[in-house]
Amino acid sequence: MTSEGRALSVVRRGVAAVLLLVVAGSMAKTVALDEVARRWRLLRRAFAGEKVPGGETTGFWFDPSYARFLDEVRRRTPKDATIALVVPSWPDVYVYQAAYQLAPRRVVQAGRENEAGFVAAYGYQGTPNASVMPIPGGALFRR
Amino acid sequence: MTFPTALFRVLAGALATGVVGWALARFVTEGFSRQEKAAWSVAIGLLVQPVLFLACISVSRSSRPAPLLVLDIALVAASIAVRRPGRSFEAGASPSSRKLRAGIAGLLVLAAAAWLVFFVSAIAEPMWATDYLAMWGLKGKTIFETGFVPRRLFQDPALSWGRPDHPLLVPLSLAMLASLSGGWNDQALALLFPVCELATLLAVWGFLARRVSPLAGAASAALVSLCFPLYRAVDAGMAEIPLALGLVLASCAFLDVLGTGSRSAATRLFAASLLAAWTKPEGTLFLLLLAGVLFLERRLRPVETWKSGGWALVVPPILHASLMLLFARPIPPRDFDPTFLEPRRWSELASRVATVLSRIFETGVLPVWVPVLAIGLFFLFTRRGLADLLLPILVLQVLGYVAAFSISSFDPVWKVDSCFQRITATLFPAFALVLGARMAMGGTSSSRGKDPSPAAT
Repeated sequence: MTSEGRALSVVRRGVAAVLLLVVAGSMAKTVALDEVARRWRLLRRAFAGEKVPGGETTGFWFDPSYARFLDEVRRRTPKDATIALVVPSWPDVYVYQAAYQLAPRRVVQAGRENEAGFVAAYGYQGTPNASVMPIPGGALFRR
Repeated sequence: MTFPTALFRVLAGALATGVVGWALARFVTEGFSRQEKAAWSVAIGLLVQPVLFLACISVSRSSRPAPLLVLDIALVAASIAVRRPGRSFEAGASPSSRKLRAGIAGLLVLAAAAWLVFFVSAIAEPMWATDYLAMWGLKGKTIFETGFVPRRLFQDPALSWGRPDHPLLVPLSLAMLASLSGGWNDQALALLFPVCELATLLAVWGFLARRVSPLAGAASAALVSLCFPLYRAVDAGMAEIPLALGLVLASCAFLDVLGTGSRSAATRLFAASLLAAWTKPEGTLFLLLLAGVLFLERRLRPVETWKSGGWALVVPPILHASLMLLFARPIPPRDFDPTFLEPRRWSELASRVATVLSRIFETGVLPVWVPVLAIGLFFLFTRRGLADLLLPILVLQVLGYVAAFSISSFDPVWKVDSCFQRITATLFPAFALVLGARMAMGGTSSSRGKDPSPAAT
């Protein structure tokens, strides 16, 4: 290769490297450093043995008190139970969180109560009786 | 169980998975560098361990770890007893210049730092992504807690939103790790995802160092590690990260098959194809596109295509579909409306395609025009590389997403907004192979285009 050809090759490689740096920089820019710092603090708390309440985690961003309600439903129902869920229709993550947190219990949506042994009603504030257990954030009905 | 204990146990489970993978991978990675061997060990481990776990729970109807550990020990012992592979050697030549070595070390430090960012982000709290809750985590937790795979995961109308038709490899991997670690801790289990990222980085680095140059390998690994649109907190728990590993390994093995036609390369392609097809339906699309390119490469000769590695691309999706049909019989997916393909709805379809393309341009291209332009210019300033063959496949894959959004049963704009960026970012690690292969500068490999395996024929 001539010296001119070599110089051209070096320039091309240099430009290519700069272009990749632009791509790398654009992707790196998408990191929210304050969010990474927040997560680092969460991790340190976890390593210190602290149990972060469900309501403080990102998974319950839409309604922190829902975490405690699901905890109570889980505590009071057997693993093989089918639970009909009465929750707000939006956001749909109300249903997904319930299905996940209560697994392996089967969770069905409102309207299918006839398939369920329990009805978990979030936000219910009726009068307690023999078949209605008031729990934080709502009530659990035994059918 | 405290979080550090749970994390330590999951780490031990992940190491056991890697060792089981190594017990099989050692027969098809002879002569590879340590980084490639490690990547293949993780991938094959993630493939074999869930299958062994499934076998154990099918027999014992319990998630106790003992039967799985016994099988693991037996498999590793058998592997060591069966054959002693020849001494391995580094396939890529080491860079001669000190400056180059320092540059490579700098890039690897950058990759390690970026990986640490994802590691912290992923395990800082329990996994919480919507798809994790509704699909991957729900299925994994149900399998672990019940000690079997309940039919309702596939057939219960109450779970129709949980994608009953999707592959089970990620849920089974989570359940397997939970079994080995002695409990379902959805914060510690998130370790699976940084492990998958690490394996992806090692695969990209090792492959390009072997086939192109150590600098290209390190640069591409650094680039992949910075793909924060994929490796971010919300994606911990999602199948996209293991899928990216499957796509990278399938691409590497595919290029090895084309370069050498060796039996060990075809076996690696089969393993990577299983990983991709059993992780997410997008993996199947990618494999079928690879098969299409192989068919064209073999001048439309089906028998030659099949014999030269086509079987390794086609069998895994067929196997998955058959197993699902035989054992799961999932309720039909509700995501797509095939009636859009009927002639009477073609005008409606055309309008939806236009809507999808315009939305993708608006939200997926315009905001990132600077890196898109930089990539375009990069192609102008660099010569063809050995991985250029992947380019049409990646473009067709994205067009496949456009088609899927266009016949979605839901609002196509919502579909683009909810998943286009995520599923496209999954392709970036494989795309980085294309970029890296065009950086054929610095120390060159003596084995370019060749599989270093002594088994190569």
